[in-house]
Amino acid sequence: MLTILNTSLIGITAGSIYSLMALALVLVWRSTRVVNFAQAGQAILSTYIGYEVISRTNNYWLALPVALVAGAVIGALVDALLIRSLTKRSANGPLASIAPIIATLGLLGVIRSVVGMIWGGDLRQYKAPVSNIGFTFGHTTIPFSRYNLLIVITTIVVMIVFTVIFQKTSLGLALRAAAFQPETARLAGVKVDRIRTVGWAFAGATGAVAGVLITPQSGLSPNSLDSLLIYGFVAAVIGGLESLIGAAVGGLVLGVGLAFIREYVNSNLEFPSTFVVLLLVLLIKPGGIIAARRGRSA
Amino acid sequence: MRSRLRNLSFVAMGIAAFFIGDHVDELRVTQGMMVIYTVVAICSLVLLTGYSGQISMGHGALMAVGAYSAVLSRTYWHFPLAATFAIAVLGAAIFGALLGVAAGRLKGPYLAGTTLALAFGLPFITSQFSFLKGTQGLPYDLGNAPKSFRDNATEYKWYFWIAALAGLIIIWLLSNLLSSRYGRQWRALRSAPVSAELSGIHIGRSKVLAFTISSGIAGLAGAILAMSVKSAFPDAFPLVLSFTILTGVVLAGTTSLAGALIAGLLLVAIKEDLSGRVTDYFASGPHISDNLPVFITSFLLIVTVLFAPNGPKFRKK
Repeated sequence: MLTILNTSLIGITAGSIYSLMALALVLVWRSTRVVNFAQAGQAILSTYIGYEVISRTNNYWLALPVALVAGAVIGALVDALLIRSLTKRSANGPLASIAPIIATLGLLGVIRSVVGMIWGGDLRQYKAPVSNIGFTFGHTTIPFSRYNLLIVITTIVVMIVFTVIFQKTSLGLALRAAAFQPETARLAGVKVDRIRTVGWAFAGATGAVAGVLITPQSGLSPNSLDSLLIYGFVAAVIGGLESLIGAAVGGLVLGVGLAFIREYVNSNLEFPSTFVVLLLVLLIKPGGIIAARRGRSA
Repeated sequence: MRSRLRNLSFVAMGIAAFFIGDHVDELRVTQGMMVIYTVVAICSLVLLTGYSGQISMGHGALMAVGAYSAVLSRTYWHFPLAATFAIAVLGAAIFGALLGVAAGRLKGPYLAGTTLALAFGLPFITSQFSFLKGTQGLPYDLGNAPKSFRDNATEYKWYFWIAALAGLIIIWLLSNLLSSRYGRQWRALRSAPVSAELSGIHIGRSKVLAFTISSGIAGLAGAILAMSVKSAFPDAFPLVLSFTILTGVVLAGTTSLAGALIAGLLLVAIKEDLSGRVTDYFASGPHISDNLPVFITSFLLIVTVLFAPNGPKFRKK
C-alpha cells in the first residue's frame, strides 16, 4: 500500500514537469500550428541564464523569475524573427508542410551549440532552494520532499494563471480567436501576428519554468532537457495537443504511469513504454485521451 | 538515353572512387567512408521526404538497426561481409515496415515527434538485451583484407572500396526505382494526395512501401558506418546524426540524388575540415570547436528553409 502511494507521489512530481513542457508545446501549437521542437533549446538557454543568476547571487528565488522572463523574451524573438517570416515564405512547395518542423529543429541545433560554446558540455548542478529530503511521518520517510511540493504547487499555479488568462481576460479571448479563426480575428481587429508572438512568449516562459524546476534533480548540460521534450510531446499528444487541461492531465498520466512501470515492471522499460503509449494514442485515439472537440489537422 | 547517361555517371563515380581511394592517405579514406554513409542516408530520406512526403527525424535509429543487424549476423552466424550488408538492409527494412504502418497514418508534426522519440530512445533499448552489450557495443569483425592491402597497412582503403561499391549499387537501384512507376506514384501522392487516390494509387500502401525501402537504405548506411568504426555501439548513432541527415535532405533540395551527393560532401567537410579551420583561425577553445559543426549545419538548415524552402535548385527539369 505504501509502495503504491510512494510510486504515485514520484509520478505526480515527474508528471507535473512533463505537464509544464506539454503546456509549452500546446501554447505554441494553438497559436501557430507548429510543434516547437526548439522548445528544449529555448528552455535550456533560459535555464542556463537562471543558473548564472544562481551561481552569482546564490539566490534561487531570483533565478526563477529571471529565467522566466528570459524564456518569454527568447520565445517572442523566435516567433518574431524566424517563424513569422517562415510561415509567410513557405506557403507551398514540397517542403511546405514540414518547413516549420525543420526550422525549429535547426533552431534547436543552433541554440544547443551556442549554449555549448558558452558554457561547455560539463554537467552542472545547483541546489534546490528547499529541502530535497522526503517528509517523515512517524518512522516512514516518503519520497516526496518540500522541493517536490514546490514543483507541484508551481505547476498548479502556472495552470491556474493560464486558465484565468485564457478564460477571463480580453488578451485570452484574442489568443483563442487568433488560434481558431485567424482571418475572422484579423477582421475583428485582433493583431494576429502580435498575439501569436504573445503565445510564443507564454510558451517560452513555461518551458523555462520547467527547465529551472527539473534541473536540481537532473543536472544541467546542453542536452539535459532532450528527454523532457520527448515526454512533454507525448504528454501533449495524450492530452490532444489542443487543450491546456489536456496537457496537464496528459503529463500526470504519463508521469504516474511511467513511475508504476519503473516500480512494478522494469526500470529499463520506461522509454520503450513511452514510445508504445505514443504510438497507441496516435493510432487508436488520435484526438487525444481528453476528447478534443474536433479532429486534428496537421 | 537518360538512363544510359545515368548508368555511365555511376560507372564514372565508381572509377573515381577507386582511384581517389588509391591515392589519398588513411585519414581522407575514413572521411570518404563518412561521406559514403552520409550520402546513402540522405538518399534514403530523398525517397521518404522528397518523394513520398513523409518526414523522419529518426533515421539515425534506422541506421542503428541496420548496423546492429549486420554486426549480429557477423558475430553470431559468421555471415560473409556482403551478406551482412544484405542483412542490414533487410533488418532495417522489416523494422521500417512495422514503423511505416504506424507512420503512414500520422501527419507532419506527429510523425516528426514519433520518429524523434524513436531516435532518442533507441540507444536505451541496447541496454535491455545482454547480447547487444550495452553502451560498449559489439565489434564488427570485418575479416581480413586481401594480402596486398595488409602489407601496406592500408586496410581502410579496402573497406572504402567496399563501402563505395555498396553505396553506388544501392543508390543506382534507388535512382532506377525513383524514375519508375513507383517514383511517379510517390510524387503524385505527395503533391496531390486526393487526385492520386482517385487515379487508383493506394496511398497507405505506397507510403508504407516508401518507409520500408527508405529504412532498408538507411540500414545499409548504418552498416557502412559500423564498418568505418569497426563496431556498432549506441553512441555512434546520436540524435545529431538524425538531424544531420535531415539537414542533408533539405540542402539537397529534397528530390535530387545528385544534390544528396553534394550535401553529403558539404556536411562531412563542415564537420571534418571547415570547423577545424575556423577554430584554428580564431584560435578558440574546445567549447567552440566541439559545437561549431552543429552550429554551422543547423544555421545552414534554417537559412535554407527560410530562403530556399524548396531547396536549392539541383533538379533538372
